[in-house]
Amino acid sequence: MVKTESLVEQIVKEVLKKLENVEIAAPATQSSDDANQEWEMIIEEIGEAKQGVNVDEVVIGVSPGFYIKFKKNIIGIPLGNILREIISGITEQGLKARIVRVKHTADVGFIAHTAAKLSGSGIGIGIQSRGTVAIHQKDLQPLNNLELFPQCPVLTLETYRAIGRNVALYAKGESPAPVPVQNDQMARPKYQAIAAVMHNFETKYVQTGAKPVELKVSFARKGGNKSDR
Amino acid sequence: MIIAGVDIGNSTTEVALAKVNGDEIRFLASGISNTTGIKGTPQNVEGVRHALEDAVRKANLTIKDIDLLRINEATPVISDIAMEAITETIITESTMIGHNPTTPGGVGLGIGITIPIFELEKCKHGEEVIVVIPKNVDYEDAAKIINNAFSKGVEVKGAIAQKDDGVLIATRLQRRIPIVDEVKQIEKVPIGMLACVEVAEPGYTIKTLSNPYGIASVFNLTAEETKNIVPVARALIGNRSAVVIRTPKGEVQERKIPAGTLIIKGNNRTFTVDIEEGAEAIMSAVESTWPLVDAKGTPGTNVGGLIARIKETMADVTGQDSSNIQIQDVLAVDTLVRQKVKGGIAEEFSSENAVALAAMVKSSKLPMEKVAQKIEQEIGIAVEIAGIEANMAIIGALTTPGTELPLAILDLGGGSTDAALMTKNGEVKSVHMAGAGEMVNMLIKTELGIEDKYLVEDIKKYPVCRVESLFSIRLEDGTVRFFKEPLDPRTFARVCLLREDGLLPLPPELNMEKVINVRRNAKRKVFVTNALRALSKVAPAGNIRLIDFVVMVGGSALDFEIPEMISDTLAGYGIVAGRGNIRNVEGPRNAVATGLVLSRCKRK
Repeated sequence: MVKTESLVEQIVKEVLKKLENVEIAAPATQSSDDANQEWEMIIEEIGEAKQGVNVDEVVIGVSPGFYIKFKKNIIGIPLGNILREIISGITEQGLKARIVRVKHTADVGFIAHTAAKLSGSGIGIGIQSRGTVAIHQKDLQPLNNLELFPQCPVLTLETYRAIGRNVALYAKGESPAPVPVQNDQMARPKYQAIAAVMHNFETKYVQTGAKPVELKVSFARKGGNKSDR
Repeated sequence: MIIAGVDIGNSTTEVALAKVNGDEIRFLASGISNTTGIKGTPQNVEGVRHALEDAVRKANLTIKDIDLLRINEATPVISDIAMEAITETIITESTMIGHNPTTPGGVGLGIGITIPIFELEKCKHGEEVIVVIPKNVDYEDAAKIINNAFSKGVEVKGAIAQKDDGVLIATRLQRRIPIVDEVKQIEKVPIGMLACVEVAEPGYTIKTLSNPYGIASVFNLTAEETKNIVPVARALIGNRSAVVIRTPKGEVQERKIPAGTLIIKGNNRTFTVDIEEGAEAIMSAVESTWPLVDAKGTPGTNVGGLIARIKETMADVTGQDSSNIQIQDVLAVDTLVRQKVKGGIAEEFSSENAVALAAMVKSSKLPMEKVAQKIEQEIGIAVEIAGIEANMAIIGALTTPGTELPLAILDLGGGSTDAALMTKNGEVKSVHMAGAGEMVNMLIKTELGIEDKYLVEDIKKYPVCRVESLFSIRLEDGTVRFFKEPLDPRTFARVCLLREDGLLPLPPELNMEKVINVRRNAKRKVFVTNALRALSKVAPAGNIRLIDFVVMVGGSALDFEIPEMISDTLAGYGIVAGRGNIRNVEGPRNAVATGLVLSRCKRK
């Protein structure tokens, strides 16, 4: 019998070694038109995140290492594009998006719940560097949620836009149909090691007891002009 | 001795168990079970056994303790339902986009020539255009290109976008123009044609494009062309945004599907009604020929199939030839079916007219003797076939406190709505009408577009509510109910059914008002119509006002709103009407079974 534990350890080491040299080698699965224009972000921390009072806002909570260690998600979609799609989905519905960095946890459920509690509408969304997303409501238990997108490798930019749209609809008190996602049985064996490694890095940025901070995010095309969101 | 009255109904078999000692009757228990097989066939025995077991268990007896079974001489009524769409909208050339994106951009009315966004920079000063934006153009780029065109003096009057970008583009523009978005098949939008884009303020609906003369003024149409554009205008009514594009050959048709004709035969005359004339025409033909001798449908059409199917089922049950079976009643109801517009660009739906039909057959008699024999053999109890169902129902209904003869009953069942009137000297007149609970289900199913029949049944049976927060729901009447424990997150922000065992979320596309509206209308169209039809036929001299008391019995009388709807309507005729309460304990159920037991003692 193969010793699975030592095998996993071996694979993780291999992956780590490769990571030293290259930023996550992305299998070329993304073929959207937007993929050829990469959006970069300038993220500024502008002090402790405050409890929102406007009912027309949705809070997006990003993970501790988001856009610090990684600039792309698990399959190589630039995080700038992802965040921009989510924000577009929200503003298309006429709501405002506020972005905070959650520092005390790297768990997507808790990030989303923290965001929901800060949100004036009571609806929040959490996102990790590898692309996993959860939609949350302030009155729910942290490990419960409104919608969870656990298979980050199958999420496309269209899905992220749809997620943003749904978040806004929840905040407006409407009843959106859950965002349809693909299911890929191979995602798990294919990406589990990378996901584990990415999460390991993410947890290194966790600061126990640290409060969430408000972020000012501006987007710019790679090599192009800057544009505020 | 212990007597059981057994009522084999269309959908349920009910039992009343009583101990009889001379003139003294003591009811012990009641039982209920689903009817197995079609009413009046030997397959019913299983259902009878289950219902009996249910009753004896409650009375702490065994089936062997029962001395006599009394079953009703079942009114052999079989009903069936069908529906047929009678109109269809076809766009032969893409001339309109009439869909309702939730968030179109901007506000207003814009008229211009359609042009792809890539060619906008070639436009000259003063040119009036409508920009077409495919999905591979980012909203920021689109806004930038349009703004550039503005500064060059190009009159961009409106935009059609493929992605859900309407608001995102509109907020970035220097001028306010109407933008219709989420047009999925944007490649079908004809280029270089005169088009009109209209977006209304939130909360309002479009005014110009939903008005035939509005479209005529935009495109300078002749009177003849305006006539042709009517289906477009009609399809756009109620939308917040729309696009109409004038193509040279463009044409929208509203086609009537041949739905067949119904031939209604009476004693003296025969009517032929086209199904497409709608429910009103059919019903007035039925009323003026009443009593019906037979009805026929054009062979090869949906109506023909429906009538033939009912006749065959009935022939099977009674062992008669199907040519001898005759239709006794027809109920037609107008309804709407949501159908996709053929040839549309943005997956438009349009509500098409349809007619739902219920038909009923009454044969001379059902082989109840066979059922009785089979029960005697299999269960081993002596069986008596007692009186007519309607008489039994009235005797049972009279156990409701506060009733006296003359009394009319309305039996609201699953397959048919029946009425009976008993005069002071015990004469009974009864009538059966096609259409009841199952027809309501069919109307709900088609109007809401739900396939799951259990969900349809639940929508009929339970009121709806909306989960507003995880701790509160808003009920149908507008009041709010709070909870201490948070609700299931699956119900959050959803319209739910208020079932005894908790909340059941409905599909998200159903909104509360629509569900309530469809449900109530379906019940009203079937039960209120049939209650009036049935009562006026049993009433003395056909005058419904001469009836004083009406007791509602049967499964559908358990509904939370049907009895109130009927009471409300009958109050207008000065009739006291209400839900029965058989033996002061059973509610509207068990009337016939109770009557079967009581009638034996009366006869002695």
